[in-house]
Amino acid sequence: MTKVVIDPITRIEGHLRITVEVENGKVKDAWNTTTMFRGFEIFMETVDPRDTWHYAQRICGVCPNPHALNSATAAERAMGVDKVPDNARLVRNMLDATQIGYDSILWFYILNAFDYVNVPNVLAAKTTDPQQMALQETVKALVATGETNPFSNHYWDHPGYKLPAEVDLVLTQHYIQSIEAQQWANQACAVIAGKFPMIMNMAAGGVTQLPSIEDINYYLDRMALVKQFTEEVMWNDLLAVAGAFPELATFGVGVGNYLTWGLLEGKSQNPVDRVFPRGAIFNKQLKVEKCDPSDVRLYTKYSYYDDAMGAGKKPFDVGQKDIKFDAYQPIDGTTFPTGKYDWTRAARYPSPAGKDVPMEVGPLSEVLVAYVSGQAEVVKYVDAVLAAIGQTGNPGVLMSNLGRVAARMIKARINMDHAADWAMQLLANIKAGDFEVFTEPNLQAEGEGISGYDAPRGALSHYCRTKDGKVTKYAAVPASNWNLAPRDDMGVRGPVEEALIGTPIADVTKPLEILRTVHTFDP
Amino acid sequence: MPVSERSSPIRGLERRDFLKYCGALATLIGVGQTGVATVADAITTATKLPIVVWSDFQECLGCTIALLQATAPTPAQLILQQISLAYNEAAMASAGFQAEKSFNDAMTQGAYWVIEGSVPGKMEGAFSVGGKSAQTILKENYSKAKGVIAIGSCACFGNVQARHPNPTGAMGIRAWLRGPGGMPDAAVINLPRCPGHGDDLVATLVYLLVNGKVPDLDAHGRPLFLYGQTIHENCERRGHFEAGEFVEKFGDEGSRNHFCLYKMGCKGPVTYAPCAINRWNGRVSWCLHAGPCTGCSEDNYWNDFSPLRAPVPNIEIPALQGVSAQTIGVGMAAVTGVGLAAHLVGQVASGRMFKGGPEEGAKDKKGGDKS
Repeated sequence: MTKVVIDPITRIEGHLRITVEVENGKVKDAWNTTTMFRGFEIFMETVDPRDTWHYAQRICGVCPNPHALNSATAAERAMGVDKVPDNARLVRNMLDATQIGYDSILWFYILNAFDYVNVPNVLAAKTTDPQQMALQETVKALVATGETNPFSNHYWDHPGYKLPAEVDLVLTQHYIQSIEAQQWANQACAVIAGKFPMIMNMAAGGVTQLPSIEDINYYLDRMALVKQFTEEVMWNDLLAVAGAFPELATFGVGVGNYLTWGLLEGKSQNPVDRVFPRGAIFNKQLKVEKCDPSDVRLYTKYSYYDDAMGAGKKPFDVGQKDIKFDAYQPIDGTTFPTGKYDWTRAARYPSPAGKDVPMEVGPLSEVLVAYVSGQAEVVKYVDAVLAAIGQTGNPGVLMSNLGRVAARMIKARINMDHAADWAMQLLANIKAGDFEVFTEPNLQAEGEGISGYDAPRGALSHYCRTKDGKVTKYAAVPASNWNLAPRDDMGVRGPVEEALIGTPIADVTKPLEILRTVHTFDP
Repeated sequence: MPVSERSSPIRGLERRDFLKYCGALATLIGVGQTGVATVADAITTATKLPIVVWSDFQECLGCTIALLQATAPTPAQLILQQISLAYNEAAMASAGFQAEKSFNDAMTQGAYWVIEGSVPGKMEGAFSVGGKSAQTILKENYSKAKGVIAIGSCACFGNVQARHPNPTGAMGIRAWLRGPGGMPDAAVINLPRCPGHGDDLVATLVYLLVNGKVPDLDAHGRPLFLYGQTIHENCERRGHFEAGEFVEKFGDEGSRNHFCLYKMGCKGPVTYAPCAINRWNGRVSWCLHAGPCTGCSEDNYWNDFSPLRAPVPNIEIPALQGVSAQTIGVGMAAVTGVGLAAHLVGQVASGRMFKGGPEEGAKDKKGGDKS
């Protein structure tokens, strides 16, 4: 048995350490450890409920928009606004569309591609294309300085890198283009919201202002480019990678339970009418169950908090305020792996059998729930992917690393299919004289609001209680509380930990396969 | 034409654009137009690229994402051709101990150290990477680095996680080094804002390359060439402030006319930052295009400027009192209930807010639809 520690896991949003035990060339056991704590649920108490979204979007600088959206929604509901004006719904959808548009590109290329694409190998490619030759020259010049660069010290000689040099070259070229492509989506965000990351136009009760006609036109122009890149470049690269690495479908299965709160709001503002509807799947059965963010349970026996803080309580009932952080020693690892080992709490959801179970969240959950619900657009893209990899009629194959990669791209396509529609509807509303974007919330109200709306990496819910113009209780259960959950009080592994079990490791000093599996969750 | 053919893999700037770019940088870093050639030389003749190590402590990755939104130069030009980015956890290929090797190699080769994120001053266990706390990493590497640049408000001042009661004791890099770190003379260039701005970083690196010394800093460690003016001074809505035209409620007619956001809680009058000049996302937009400024470049703004939606107290109207707004407003945290909104309404009602009287205000409008 060999113990392998990867710290830091790079090309992710947060701070993550993975520890695995390898036996006979396969992962036998696994632990994920997030290594940072800031205390949002503590310092957001006492803030003005109109301000919560400013704080909340700082939870994640990669996906601030859905944090801002969920936080504003939870706060406005606590203050008596159950539905925002339709224009505000459209603007919020437009901002989430830019978020998904950019994040899909960022993930596929910048965070994920180096697990499959061998950058130094581009020098071996034969090409007469001037742009490709320029790229080769750039890589050559960078290496020639002898200085440490972003490609240094990586295991490029790992047998898992097997693409022909010419394909590596094209994909590296697309990697460079992707940096510009993700900028287009964020420019579309910025013209509506001021800047990205950290938007400025959200409000509890709607949005700050109606975008101008010029802003909407600019948005449409940028998002048309993102759509073109998504369809013509990224989608084809997905199919190329899926075809070249069929082994992706053979590991990374995970817990087999899938949860989504849904996303991209419909006109009724009811979660069942979202483009991706709300729902849960248990035990890999292709059957959708109802779910609700008020039923989330949290466990902390293996997290750096008091055992009693979680203990299966609902988010509103979990208090961080009085916990004794200093009682635990996160860095020296003396409590590991039998004791506490993670800053993340273990989020669980009650199964139909009445047991609190781990749930995988993210595009795979969203796509599976929509597919089983018969959402026509999702069915179309899923069937196209299955046909391309020779698995027609076998959607179960998607419950794997391959499925996570493919689902993220399917989500990107569907998102881009809708982005322009919302902008056009907004233009139509303006033309019809509907300028409303904001409903004033009752600041002094005593109330409670919950919002569940998926971020790019999966289910995200915010919980807010208010009284006399102050937040009296705030809680957030982000996707990492699900996917990067440690073991719960019953000793059951979290989704990433479970997905790592059985992963083949060719070389324990170069654990590329672990990076691949972990990256499919977009942690 | 498909997108893949429209953009070349590395979009080198045309020479004319390159000189224009150097000109902008030269002006920004204070060597004037005569220094354009110096800047161009510094960028093009360097046989060794300046090595940059980018560390992430207590943060949200927003500053890294913001750097990816830079357009002049683009991240590809910056990372592949103008600097050697030895270590950045979001962008680098390697992980684990191989990534640590890149960090240590670069520090040995001589690197500028950019830090995103705060230090958890009273809870060391609240952050670690490679099994080391932020405190340990700072102690081991501060003296090795050629210079330390704090990017974004977390690394500068602690930012949101320092909001009362600041559970982890989050603090800026400079404050930690000079205080608990026991290095009272520690030098850090602070480039705040939330997120930090890629243009600030490029301008500062070029300044260091051209001048070989740290730029003049204000009391908060911010380069004066970037952080010398308030948001309010250069705001596109400033004319409406002078004219007494304010958004009274989000989405109202005033908001559609882009009126001043002062009454909606804008912190522009007490916030020093170049946002109005270099804007965001390829200069497409900036905060005041969409909503009120939160004051994100200021130390302790989550506490001092809270609630963000409440108007800044104690602001005088510049043209009337003959005192500029930014010289007042400071120390607003100590001010209790001055009732400025009422004060302001009174001034508008009596027509005293126009710079040169109502006539001049009307003349500026051209259409003269409002006076």
